[in-house]
Amino acid sequence: MLENAMLENVRVLGSAAWVFVALALIGGALAVTLPNILHAIFSLALSLVGVALLFLALGSPFVAAMQVLIYVGGISVAMVFAVMFAFALREGPAGAARRRRGLAGAAALGVFAALGPLIARASWSPHFARNDWTVAALGRALLQHYNVVFEALSVVLLLAIVGAIIVARREPPQ
Amino acid sequence: MTLQTLLLVALALFCIGLYGVLSRRHLVGVLVGLELMLNAASLNLLAFSRAGMGDAVTGQVIVLFIIGLAAAEVALALSIIVALYRRRRSVDIDRLHELRG
Repeated sequence: MLENAMLENVRVLGSAAWVFVALALIGGALAVTLPNILHAIFSLALSLVGVALLFLALGSPFVAAMQVLIYVGGISVAMVFAVMFAFALREGPAGAARRRRGLAGAAALGVFAALGPLIARASWSPHFARNDWTVAALGRALLQHYNVVFEALSVVLLLAIVGAIIVARREPPQ
Repeated sequence: MTLQTLLLVALALFCIGLYGVLSRRHLVGVLVGLELMLNAASLNLLAFSRAGMGDAVTGQVIVLFIIGLAAAEVALALSIIVALYRRRRSVDIDRLHELRG
């Protein structure tokens, strides 16, 4: 039993892992602060790439690839398309923004101050053998043990696509 | 890097996303913050799985489900935002308050 569970893959990477962490956090910070919404979406993509690299460092190349393909290549691009087709790019006039920013910052810092010490103090001890991290094992789990969830998710995606088309469609003139 | 360090990183990412959700007035900006929070959760799951706190594949499978659900969520949210913008000419959440209780 390790008193303080080490993530040996990430440890091998050493300072490279900190570059990934910096990418994720700086991208995230820019994504929530930049006033131009398009810049914010690009920063989000940067942060998502940082998280994908951390997935890679944690030893899961398949999930990292899916993160890049679906999140960066799909979701961010869809947001950019929606914004560029339909919206005024900049945010509206500031108004009560300063007060709201203060409250939001206080809430975020409060959550961090509440959960951070708990994480730092807890002692995590591993219970499972660190066995099969191959893509083959992942595929087997996905199509056997989690088969129902897998299929349900594909139905959810289909419904989301059809629903999105119906909601966003222009209403025919009466 | 220990598990705790990575959990703290994920917590920081979550708090950044929370700040974005609470402070943005642009609806797409709220969506961006939401994606950051989801990513923090994914990072936690994979870190736990790698540290032996869960089965080897379970963390990865659940992260894949999160990514799939996020795709569905963003598709629906963007279409709702486009429809709202068409009707109201605004994506400012302060001006969209028809459903206020």
